[in-house]
Amino acid sequence: MNSSRYELGALAAVGLMLVAAAFIFLFAPTDALQGPVQRIFYLHVSSAIAAYGCFAVVLLGGVVYLWKDNLAADRLARSAALVGVVFTTVTLVMGMLWAKPIWGTFWTWDARLTSTLVLWIIYAGYLMVRRLAEPGRQAARFAAVVGIFGFIDVPVVHFSVTWWRTQHPGPVVINDALPAQMLIAFLITMACTLFLAAVMIAIRYRIELLTEQAAERAMPAPIVAPTEVGGA
Amino acid sequence: MVYLVTAYAFAIAVLGGYLVWSLLRLRELTRKR
Repeated sequence: MNSSRYELGALAAVGLMLVAAAFIFLFAPTDALQGPVQRIFYLHVSSAIAAYGCFAVVLLGGVVYLWKDNLAADRLARSAALVGVVFTTVTLVMGMLWAKPIWGTFWTWDARLTSTLVLWIIYAGYLMVRRLAEPGRQAARFAAVVGIFGFIDVPVVHFSVTWWRTQHPGPVVINDALPAQMLIAFLITMACTLFLAAVMIAIRYRIELLTEQAAERAMPAPIVAPTEVGGA
Repeated sequence: MVYLVTAYAFAIAVLGGYLVWSLLRLRELTRKR
């Protein structure tokens, strides 16, 4: 697949995000209690779900790599981890900017916020391992283990609002607490964000593959001793 | 309102910036190939 296919995918993703923006700012009604700032909700939650999806791909890639010793699975896990960290960053910062006018503070050490920060640290650590360790099977195996165990934090983040008393609100989507227009805007934003995440992973996967191939080409050819003709 | 604008400006900068950077890197690697 040439790079123009990826550019086309990226263009489609940008177009879909603009559609999502139209639903967020033009279609969804303004929240009676919080006012316009509540519109942060749509991309904040969608980014969190996209990050969960990315980390699920890291988990899957890690399991397949350890099981089948499949380099493509390891490459996929690496790509998804980076995109997952990008979406977790967006989730955290948008959440902080929403918290300030509503809670009066950017940050509070409640279970949801803390576990999300831990999630970011785990996968940032995963990426650091990949960057600093000598590339090879050992680093890939270690990273796969980190990716698999790191995923334990995803259900902790998700259920933190029901397991503990938190300042962060509980689930509104599955509890049917959203009016129909808000729900439609949210579902469209979520679908568009998931598509964007998938495109980002595909592009990153291609970058990783081409980087590996370039590194292989740059490696000096092994010196092979000439075979003796008609030896003893 | 300022928090809403800042939040979306940040998201556009991070997601858009990452996407553009990825495409540029991909184009560079494809050209080198």
